[in-house]
Amino acid sequence: MFLKKKPMWGKKTKLKSSYDVVIIGGGLHSLATAYFLAKEHGITDIAIIEKNYIGFGGAGRNTAIVRANQRTQYNVPLYKEALDLWPVLTKDLDYNLMFNNCGNLNLMHSEAAMKAARMTIATAQFHGVESHLIDAKEAKELVPALNISEDITFPIHGAMFHPPGGVVRHDAVVWGLARGAAKKGVEIHQQTEALGIGTQNGKVTSVTTSRGVINTKQVLISAGGYSAALIYDMLGIKLPISVLTIQAMVTQPLKPVLDHVVSSGAYHCYANQTLKGEIATGAHMDPWPNYTTLNTAHYIKHQAEALSEFLPCLRGVRFMRIWGGLADMTPDMAPIMEGNNHVEGFFMDCGWGYFGFKSCSAVGKYMAEYMATDVCPDMLKPFALKRYQEHKLMGETAELVSYSPDN
Amino acid sequence: MALTITCPICGKRNGYEFKFGGEEKGPRPDEKDLTPEAWCDYVHMNKCVAGVQQEWWFHKDGCGSWFPIYRDTTTNLEKPEPGGQK
Repeated sequence: MFLKKKPMWGKKTKLKSSYDVVIIGGGLHSLATAYFLAKEHGITDIAIIEKNYIGFGGAGRNTAIVRANQRTQYNVPLYKEALDLWPVLTKDLDYNLMFNNCGNLNLMHSEAAMKAARMTIATAQFHGVESHLIDAKEAKELVPALNISEDITFPIHGAMFHPPGGVVRHDAVVWGLARGAAKKGVEIHQQTEALGIGTQNGKVTSVTTSRGVINTKQVLISAGGYSAALIYDMLGIKLPISVLTIQAMVTQPLKPVLDHVVSSGAYHCYANQTLKGEIATGAHMDPWPNYTTLNTAHYIKHQAEALSEFLPCLRGVRFMRIWGGLADMTPDMAPIMEGNNHVEGFFMDCGWGYFGFKSCSAVGKYMAEYMATDVCPDMLKPFALKRYQEHKLMGETAELVSYSPDN
Repeated sequence: MALTITCPICGKRNGYEFKFGGEEKGPRPDEKDLTPEAWCDYVHMNKCVAGVQQEWWFHKDGCGSWFPIYRDTTTNLEKPEPGGQK
């Protein structure tokens, strides 16, 4: 991937000594922001600085699920726009992102869960997102492989059915956006590590990299799970983030058996069948911060047990590949996006937890607008860091997600 | 990603017996003249160190004690106190 031949997105360029905008991290939020800065705002003098290779982190490790059935009124419109953008981007980028809107089925295993689902569905419907409650029998009609019998650990009471969601080929999004951005003049520099941000009189002046200093007035850190550590290292800003490894795996390829994304909170497991036939599944995070991106035997066993209960036809099927990625979790399961607050010209886009993939298209569009105009778009206003100080946490989960002593 | 934790009472045990208790942030701030900034900093804010950090653990499936250790977050291995004797 670092061979002498030319990269898939265009020509290899020399790192210049100055750019209008430097973006740290070569993942989807960075690529999308650069793409929209170039496309919508005519800002093309951009360098994307990536320590490894584009799509090394969360962009290539997520399980490719997209949906817009979140819980709060602030989140739903953002994810809805992200969902609506997949077909548009496929066309604009002239790159097949393989959007398969097969629909998401969120299993509910108690009457209390059904009640919580009703509220989430009401929020979705209020924002014009298709989502409805179905009972166990209807779920079985949609996904015949489901086990709706009473004799499993968590019997299925019903499900939240969200037809517009589905799966997008995550690598295609990386490649498509990289090519789309590069065509408009954005430079992508792999194997280039950002080491520091230079400031003067409260303004960004430069970014120090492993290949020299770049002068710039605007910097965005959108480096997925690595963002929080970079932001603290470079600018001393602490964030309400805990970085955890989230695990995933795929089974050997099977004939078509699952034509929806199925997920279960109680089993702590989700599964969908990829176009190659593998069952892609995951969800578990060992609840202590770490950057290992390693799997645990503990979880592989749990996953096999969960799948063989609610999708019993998978009993005996072998896991073929396992991997992990980083999830930068915030207490209210909502991201942090802001700019020009601590230092003029410094923007951050982090705290996505495991929602970074499904949001990248819309966030790229709005972060680009934010950076080009220096005015925070209404869509991003609720996600400012100061909500934690003001006790305006977002309630994306009913209970705070916390890896601190109070939980 | 095996994790073992050394409890001061029970010794070296499987990490799943314990609950992570947050980064070491110093003493709880005094309630007198406490600002929302200082409280938020204490409650929510983390350094997210990719390397060795001091942190709290609770032996939930054991003796119930709370104690700080040093751990490398990139390897999940317990470490001695940097520059110390532990």
